[in-house]
Amino acid sequence: MAVAQTAKRKKKRDWYRLGFIALFLLPALAILGTFMFYPIKETFRLSFMRSSGFGEEIYVGWRNYQRIFASPEFRQGFVNVFKWAFWSVAIQIPLAFFIAFTCVNFRTRIIGRLRGVYYLSNVLPSAITAMLGVFIFSPTSGVIKTFAKTTGWKWLESIDWLGNPKLAFWSLFALATWAYIGFGIIYLMANIEQIPTEIREAALIDGATQWQYAWRVVIPYVSYAIRVQAILATVGSIKLFDLPYMVTLGGPRNATVTLGITLYREAFLNWQYGRGAAIGVVIFLICLVITIFQFSFVNDHSATDHSI
Amino acid sequence: MRRKKVSQYTEEFEAPKSQRRLSVSSVLVHIALILLALIVISPLIIPFFFTFKTPLEFAYNPWGLPEKLRWSNFEQAWKMVRIGEGLRNSLQVCIGAVLFTVPPAAMAGYIFAFYRSRVTNVLFYVVMAGFFVPVHMVLIPLYQFSTKIGITNTFPGVFLPIAAFGIPFWTIIYRSFYSGLPKDMVEAGRIDGAGHFTVFMRIIFPMAKPATVLAVLLSFMGGWSDFIIGLIMLSSQSKFTMQLRISQFIGNLGANYFPQYAAGVIISSLPTIILYLIFHKYIIQGTTLAGAIKG
Amino acid sequence: MSRSKLSVLLVMTLASLLILSSVALAKTTLTIWAVDGLELDDPHHYYVQNLVKTFLADNPDIDIDWVAFGSEGAALNNRIRVALAANVGPDIFQSWGGTFMGEFARMGKLLDLTEELSDVPTSEAAKAAMSYDGRLYGIAPFFAIAGLYVNEGIFEELGLEVPTTIAELEAVAEKLVANGIQPFAVGARDEWPILATYMYLVNRYGGTIFDDAVARKVRFDAEPFVQAGLKIQEWSKRGFFGNTPMSEGYGDAQLLMQTGQAAMQISGSWLCGLYADPNQTDQTIGFYAVPVLEGGVGKVTDLAGMTDVGFVATATAADKKDAVVRFLTYAMSVEAAEKEAGRVASIPGVNPPNRLTGMASDVFTQAETIQFWWDQNLPPALTTPVNLTIQSFLMDDTDVKAELARYELLVEDELGSVR
Repeated sequence: MAVAQTAKRKKKRDWYRLGFIALFLLPALAILGTFMFYPIKETFRLSFMRSSGFGEEIYVGWRNYQRIFASPEFRQGFVNVFKWAFWSVAIQIPLAFFIAFTCVNFRTRIIGRLRGVYYLSNVLPSAITAMLGVFIFSPTSGVIKTFAKTTGWKWLESIDWLGNPKLAFWSLFALATWAYIGFGIIYLMANIEQIPTEIREAALIDGATQWQYAWRVVIPYVSYAIRVQAILATVGSIKLFDLPYMVTLGGPRNATVTLGITLYREAFLNWQYGRGAAIGVVIFLICLVITIFQFSFVNDHSATDHSI
Repeated sequence: MRRKKVSQYTEEFEAPKSQRRLSVSSVLVHIALILLALIVISPLIIPFFFTFKTPLEFAYNPWGLPEKLRWSNFEQAWKMVRIGEGLRNSLQVCIGAVLFTVPPAAMAGYIFAFYRSRVTNVLFYVVMAGFFVPVHMVLIPLYQFSTKIGITNTFPGVFLPIAAFGIPFWTIIYRSFYSGLPKDMVEAGRIDGAGHFTVFMRIIFPMAKPATVLAVLLSFMGGWSDFIIGLIMLSSQSKFTMQLRISQFIGNLGANYFPQYAAGVIISSLPTIILYLIFHKYIIQGTTLAGAIKG
Repeated sequence: MSRSKLSVLLVMTLASLLILSSVALAKTTLTIWAVDGLELDDPHHYYVQNLVKTFLADNPDIDIDWVAFGSEGAALNNRIRVALAANVGPDIFQSWGGTFMGEFARMGKLLDLTEELSDVPTSEAAKAAMSYDGRLYGIAPFFAIAGLYVNEGIFEELGLEVPTTIAELEAVAEKLVANGIQPFAVGARDEWPILATYMYLVNRYGGTIFDDAVARKVRFDAEPFVQAGLKIQEWSKRGFFGNTPMSEGYGDAQLLMQTGQAAMQISGSWLCGLYADPNQTDQTIGFYAVPVLEGGVGKVTDLAGMTDVGFVATATAADKKDAVVRFLTYAMSVEAAEKEAGRVASIPGVNPPNRLTGMASDVFTQAETIQFWWDQNLPPALTTPVNLTIQSFLMDDTDVKAELARYELLVEDELGSVR
């Protein structure tokens, strides 16, 4: 009798719990369902059609996919975004970590003042960032050009920042690092600050230097945050569009083309909406695979035993 | 009250004596950080070199100091942007974007962090999938759908899609942030017999304040920076947001009006920079607060 | 008359008066989406500003809802595409005509105005640009032709003559390089600005071969296309486009011309307003026909051009046809076009506003054939690739023939193989 009652109560509690979960997920899922998943479903469907986006649709099977994979532009975009993703993770995250760590652990007045600064470039709309990039690299009135003219450094003057296919990628990458790194810094800062002070003091009393402390304690502690950061940077790179398009249009000779740019070219410039949709689907799937891989392959320290 | 908090914060920055010693690495770190800060700030100063000049003055001498402070470029931009109306429109979009991004993401992130089961894990990937979508991929279906339900040329028609693009990102951030919280705090709440909702409202959500400050600030700025969704959804001039108007202004000039461009750059970025300067204190405060709770 | 009859009459009169007055009061609103705005006090916008102001004053029964999108990032084009795909949109939108407009016409999204606009005086070239499949969909009050801008001050100083042949052009360019002046401003970072130069070179080598290529009589990697591409590459190697042509945006190119750092530019006559404005430049710039090639096929009267300002009506405006036609007709009037400060009018009887525009007008009136800007004349799927292909010729290590062969494959896919 008593057992049955507890079971009943437990069941009731389970239903309550389930209702709570549903209630809390509802707003997010409702908004996403309406404004994201419906259009995505449409896009998946269109990726099998020949369509200019105007209603007339011819089923072409996998042809769009065959076409885009055969296109050198798409392949170059593929290479570029992975290159971009790799260097984002390899350069931006360590740099962000360095700034975040030092800002938290070298608590002097100067650094206290500075730490609010690093995020500033992140608040600009990307069109503005692109324009600043042009102001910097422009061969007529750019910062670098003018500097080279004043100093008389011919070698600097003749560098083709955006026009040399080998260099353009890095010019843009530098611009992007400047524009996007702020979030990583603030996010890592917030996570490093979560480390209980006694852990820090214990480590330092044991005679560890700041750098040993960073390496042995902080990085393992915020590894999950770093991993999230890596995913955000990777996915952000793979769907990158704004900055390279607005500064170089993907040129010269596709040196800065991204999958996002090929998507835009196909869907909006070439009026091949079906092919554009197919590129969108490919971007989507790449991101999905990478994320699942990153989340499941590396052990998630705070996972599982959290359920209340 | 607030003053006190701020002073606490500065006190915390007066580091223990042992760290005040000037070591080589500390000097190097200072130099590096100052340099990096300069790199971050300097591009933001560029437009001020350009904007006070006439086209000819700019053409011959882009980087010199202006002959005198000419405000005509600003006046033009100001007139075109109709700043009062533009700000009001952008504000509505931004507030809508914040309201429909942050609470849903905070709630969903909570479920995904603490109620893990096979189903919620799958749902997490479903939500996260929204983050993988490049915006150009969905523009045409999105617009067609919005026409069907009649929300084109309205502000919800702009901020709801913006929210849809923001929720996945912030759900990921919230989930990771909650996961970093000390488990004993959560369990303590649970032992006290508090309900699901109470634990969230009383313990978890307040502790995630740094994430929330960040989310509010950044979704606001996301709404502010949006161009493409506003462009697609809005069709009357009176509803255009700041970004649309800046783009109109710049795009109306042709390819070569750098001084006016610079005015546009300043007008469109200044509000967010001011906002950031006001609120970045809260970010820092928020994070130290979280540290204090745990310490 | 009985009282009741009288009252019925009274009521009827009142009612009809009411109806009449409400009809008179109901204004038709024309929604117009445009590139150029009405707010900016800038010579570039005088035409549209006066157009709207005067038209509204003359037509009290019409209201205009003018929405300007600017030219940033093809904002208007993208907006129009998305809107018309969902069958909503403005009544009129600004368009350069050509194949972009043609695609909309093919989809039945535009309003056929062939009869209504048949009496409006215009140039044949402008009319052709605003037509698709023999039907007329809009108007183009201004027409831009591409030509050779020359900094006459620099030429005088160095004792140079304006070249009439390609050989002379190259000699001039050599001399300019030797004097530290960039011969050509281009702005190839923005892709399309190099197209004008290439179009002319192809014409000078092969005449109207482009039309044959589109009609699939010759391949796009035929000899004249290759020769023109190699010529651009050769010029680039000789420094005719400066040291950093691919970093140079179209705005940079203009700046180079305005400050006398570059001496020539092959581009559209839309720049006349800018280069004739003493607030924008202190150089004396002239406009000439592009030189011919000795022994080549193309003639000096073969021009490249496109509409400069144009308006197209959409199918959603069918029930406002009268108002639409009135607006478009007025937009083509001499009175409206005379307010323009820099463009070449395609309406007969409009006096050019300045010397430079006059020079461009003269070149325009001598035209025997007008080749539309390729990127306005090819199907949309081929326009971005053609610009990318031509842009690549500026790089030393590009295999011109291979690039053109690759482009030919795309064309075959879209238009079929050469018969």
